[in-house]
Amino acid sequence: MTNHHSFPCGRSRREFVWEMGAGFAGLALTSLLSNDGFFTRHAAAEESQRALNPTAAKKPQLKPRVKSCIFLMMNGAPSQVDTFDYKPELEKYAGKQLPADKKFTNSGGRKMGYLTPAWRTFRPGGESGLLVSDYFPKVRDHADKLCVLNSCHTDSHAHGSALVAMNTGKTLIGRPSLGSWCVYGLGTANESLPGYVVMLDKRGGPISGQPNWSSGFMPATYAGTLFRPVGDPILDLKGPGHITQPAQREQLDLLAKINQRHLDERPGGQELAARINSYELAYRMQTATPDAVDLTQETAQTLKMYGVGEKPTDEYGRNCLIARRLVERGVRFIQLYSGGGHLEETWDAHESIEKNHGRHAAEVDQPIAALLTDLAQRGMLDETLIVWGGEFGRMPFSEGKDAPGRNHNPYGFSMWLAGGGVKGGTNYGQTDEFGFEAVQNKVHLHDLHATILQMMGLDHERLTYFHQGRDESLTDVGGRVIHDILV
Amino acid sequence: MYCRPFYLFLLTSFLVASLAQGGDTAESPPDFETEIVPLLINRCLECHQEQNTSGSLSLVTRQELLKGGDSGSALDLKSPLESFLLQRVHAGEMPPEKQGQPQKLSAREIKLLERWVAAKAPWPPGRKIDLFERTTEVRAGRDWWSLQPIQRPAIPKLNRLQQPTNPIDAFILARLEQKQITPAPLADKRTRLRRLHYDLTGLPPTLAQIEQFEKDASPQAWEKVIDELLDSPQYGERWARYWLDLVRYADTSGYERDQEKPFAWKYRDWVVAALNSDLPYNRFITEQLAGDELPDRDKRTVIATGFLRLGTWNDEPNDPQDYQYDRLEDLVHTTSSAFLAMTVKCARCHSHKFDPITQEDYYRMASAFWAGPIAARDRKLLGGPKPDELGFPDVLGWTDVHAPPAPLHVLKNGEREHPLHAVTPTTLSMIPELESPFAPQPKGARTSHRRLQLARWITDPNHPLTARVFVNRLWLHHFGEGIVRSPNNFGFMADPPTHPDLLDWLAAEFKSGGWTIKRMHKLILTSQTWQQSSVHPRSAEYRGLDAGNRLWWRAERQRLDAEALRDSMLATSGELDLRRGGPGFRPTISAAALEGLSTKSAAWQASPPEEQNRRSLYTYTKRGLLPPMMTTFDLCSSTQSCGKRDITTVPTQSLAMLNNQFVHSRSETLARKILDAQSEPQAQVQKLWERVYARSPSDEELKLSLQHLIVQSQHFQRDRQQQSARQENALPRQAASDSKPEAATQMTPQELALASLCHVLLNSNEFLYID
Repeated sequence: MTNHHSFPCGRSRREFVWEMGAGFAGLALTSLLSNDGFFTRHAAAEESQRALNPTAAKKPQLKPRVKSCIFLMMNGAPSQVDTFDYKPELEKYAGKQLPADKKFTNSGGRKMGYLTPAWRTFRPGGESGLLVSDYFPKVRDHADKLCVLNSCHTDSHAHGSALVAMNTGKTLIGRPSLGSWCVYGLGTANESLPGYVVMLDKRGGPISGQPNWSSGFMPATYAGTLFRPVGDPILDLKGPGHITQPAQREQLDLLAKINQRHLDERPGGQELAARINSYELAYRMQTATPDAVDLTQETAQTLKMYGVGEKPTDEYGRNCLIARRLVERGVRFIQLYSGGGHLEETWDAHESIEKNHGRHAAEVDQPIAALLTDLAQRGMLDETLIVWGGEFGRMPFSEGKDAPGRNHNPYGFSMWLAGGGVKGGTNYGQTDEFGFEAVQNKVHLHDLHATILQMMGLDHERLTYFHQGRDESLTDVGGRVIHDILV
Repeated sequence: MYCRPFYLFLLTSFLVASLAQGGDTAESPPDFETEIVPLLINRCLECHQEQNTSGSLSLVTRQELLKGGDSGSALDLKSPLESFLLQRVHAGEMPPEKQGQPQKLSAREIKLLERWVAAKAPWPPGRKIDLFERTTEVRAGRDWWSLQPIQRPAIPKLNRLQQPTNPIDAFILARLEQKQITPAPLADKRTRLRRLHYDLTGLPPTLAQIEQFEKDASPQAWEKVIDELLDSPQYGERWARYWLDLVRYADTSGYERDQEKPFAWKYRDWVVAALNSDLPYNRFITEQLAGDELPDRDKRTVIATGFLRLGTWNDEPNDPQDYQYDRLEDLVHTTSSAFLAMTVKCARCHSHKFDPITQEDYYRMASAFWAGPIAARDRKLLGGPKPDELGFPDVLGWTDVHAPPAPLHVLKNGEREHPLHAVTPTTLSMIPELESPFAPQPKGARTSHRRLQLARWITDPNHPLTARVFVNRLWLHHFGEGIVRSPNNFGFMADPPTHPDLLDWLAAEFKSGGWTIKRMHKLILTSQTWQQSSVHPRSAEYRGLDAGNRLWWRAERQRLDAEALRDSMLATSGELDLRRGGPGFRPTISAAALEGLSTKSAAWQASPPEEQNRRSLYTYTKRGLLPPMMTTFDLCSSTQSCGKRDITTVPTQSLAMLNNQFVHSRSETLARKILDAQSEPQAQVQKLWERVYARSPSDEELKLSLQHLIVQSQHFQRDRQQQSARQENALPRQAASDSKPEAATQMTPQELALASLCHVLLNSNEFLYID
């Protein structure tokens, strides 16, 4: 609503930009505006739609700090006080209850327990001396690259909706995910690969599933593409043996001609044009995708560094290495899930922090460290943003007497960023003395999203998509860029 | 926050009304009902009422206002303008900021409050304000549009355009006329017939059917084909699928073991039969909710209660006690979503955030299911009643197993450890006119009769939601979009109706017509709106006026959904097996697809080939293993009620159509059939075009096709020669490993070339889209 009223003559911001752009720098703006059907409202020529390619690379709105983002999603929610938020006071208060004036929702009605210190020791890492617990000894070696946000908070204490919120900005399903906004705003730098790739944990998909990588009300072309962790990364990459590449090319050329004739008789058929486009993308994906995930091209040293072929790092190691290869190939946004299915198969450590986090951290610590090393060695870390975190955090207290697990906590948790343009070796924001709730420099998930978009070269207030009478954005009416953490 | 024209309309009319009343006498106290109540509900009550007394302050009665909260009385009657309430408001502390955004009252609102407080806050005696009594900026009240009685609106009179005979068109044209938009012309007969066949049966017409229809110049031709298709058994098979999406139909339980639910398919067949026999919708609802409680109960009505058995079922829940409440939620959610398009489940832990559904309401609806097999019992029962309790050994059904049931308690924050009072089993409070407690279990009755009473409430002719929600679903599946575009949500978060009057007229017509569905289909299908072309000569211009085609100035082109696409490929190749009903078949799923799943290939035994070509409706739905080809084309998850599937266009669909063996097999079969009948390439192309597109190729298309046959024959010929050269030189062991069992290897290069052409056609937009 506000957007409509703040521009002259009741126009939307988009229309305003169009009018301005038409006079000054028409071309660049045309591509910026072309994707949500706005362009067609002004372009009389139906012809232009044919060339309409919704994922063509676009000029960023701002000077980008990075080209790609890798989101390491710790599905199930890791505990901040056991990993990146050191709370020595918990030693002192161990066995006591959280003070009664601390209000919270007891998610799932779990048993109320007692304040419990970190299950593993925190130690300083790097020159900065940033504190990281022994769950992440190898990531700690990169402490000087990490900017830990200790004051994150979110809007739901339930996995399904909190994860959807972490991915789409809202707890209700149906909105475009962060990766979709990135591809919408920037296009892809490599037309032969999806601009937005999601790799799930092979134990299963996250609760709520597809809405986590959906494009919501935007065209599906902005949705995340699932790469399967086993077998062909995408199903049906290869046809029957007798359809060789030249034979298939012949088919596709004829198909394009038939489809074009069909489209010519149906002017404005954007869905038809999009489907025509999808065949060319599919054709190129047939060679580009296997190549991107072909780890035989990597040296034995690299594979070893990521822990490929070794337990328990093999799966996440492969995924991290594939992520680097995708970044090299211009993929904008990659999300790697650690944890899948339900409960202890994820970071959802109700039963035991030590058992759960011990298991999951051991799977990802070395691969994540290797990814940071590898990107830095190749000079790519400056152009890549790494985001680590879960959908919320965990309570500083146990789930009953001598119960070694912790319940959900949306009030305060930690995430970290690394890579191009973030101040490494720093902590930003604080939780209270218990590590229970964010109290200083609070970072709402909208703030995180605004900051990630900013680093990608997108202004979270100007990156809008017109939908049902409203300029929608990822951060809606909230969100602020955390300039303090940017170099 | 959200721009909702309908809501804005309400808000504006309220503002106009209040300004008109308050404007002339600046110093008199404001009117309580029109000025103060809206202000309190809008800005204060969300946090200061019985369910949520922040600072221990409630503002629903004057007594409570005077009593105040933790900080003492909110009102100082001696010096009213010093009241704590005004102090907090002036300081901008109340209402408090939200997500970092200040919520300070406007100068006008503050002035209103001051005048009211200055007059010592007059409040009609006994008046208690209810958060849900009216709609505010952040939530719907009981005055929400979808909860108002359905009045049959007058059929609009057109000014410029000619008055149509079908009232649907009058509603549509009236809006177009306002915008000075002319609707698209009637689609040609071929296009309309193809659209009609897909719409009613999910299958394409044959060339002969099209030609027959084109020849029939009688005025009754259109109605005749509608009647024929509505009478065909394929109609029920098509429309049952939409219902199965709504009721989360699957053949297994989900979770780790994903056990089969025996006889689930009987429910599926019951839906098909109900639609084909035009079972009135009110009876359709009642049998599903309470088929076991009906006086004329029989095996068929008990099968219908399978509706209550279709949800996921976990044989090893984390906490079996808690799991009872999760099962209740599934039943409440599916019932309220499918029949009422209301998200009652959101009120499990607290009153609904957006709709006038209290936490009490949630437990009221849940109480209808409480006497059923909710609690943990023998795992072999898969969460259902024993066969002797149900009365039929070979039915997946539902009945009460401990009636009358123990009291169901409202749970504080939804937590089992914190039970509050026992709920009185009652209908929901959002429609006060229809609110009444369920009668106690009749003497001698075996079941609690609560589900029957819930069904009677839902099917009450005065229920504002039931008919609206259903006609909206009909509209959605006929047109591709609903009048309310969120078919499972008619609450505050819903998309407002594009044509509220039309929705109400259809709902009224549906009820007065005895809730028969086929009559509504026919009414819609005979409208000009449905029959218009999807191409409009002025579309470039009109898209500027109505980009989303919300006014229906042309038809929306639709892509075949997963089932229609698969069935069409089989129909085109002449392989579609139209045997109806019975247990589902297990489709062949590629090893690669099975490998990526935790269950791996051991968990899946495909049915024999003779079962594989049945309609997609009869696919055995294993929750842990939905066929990838179908999910790629947007088959929805069977975990929760799905009112509208996504329609996506993504490269992985193109990969599936290009490479999946199922598609290749259809192309090869069709090629062989054509080659058996035709020896001349030109005749082959002609025949192929007729089979796939039900038309002849143009000269250009014929030329391109013949060229394709030559080029591909050469490709395959060359490959074949190279292959045999390799085989002659190769060791026998290697040759064996290269062997392919597929039929393709036995085909000649000419046959493969025709299969290649066929494959191209099956991949084309003309095949996948309905104009």
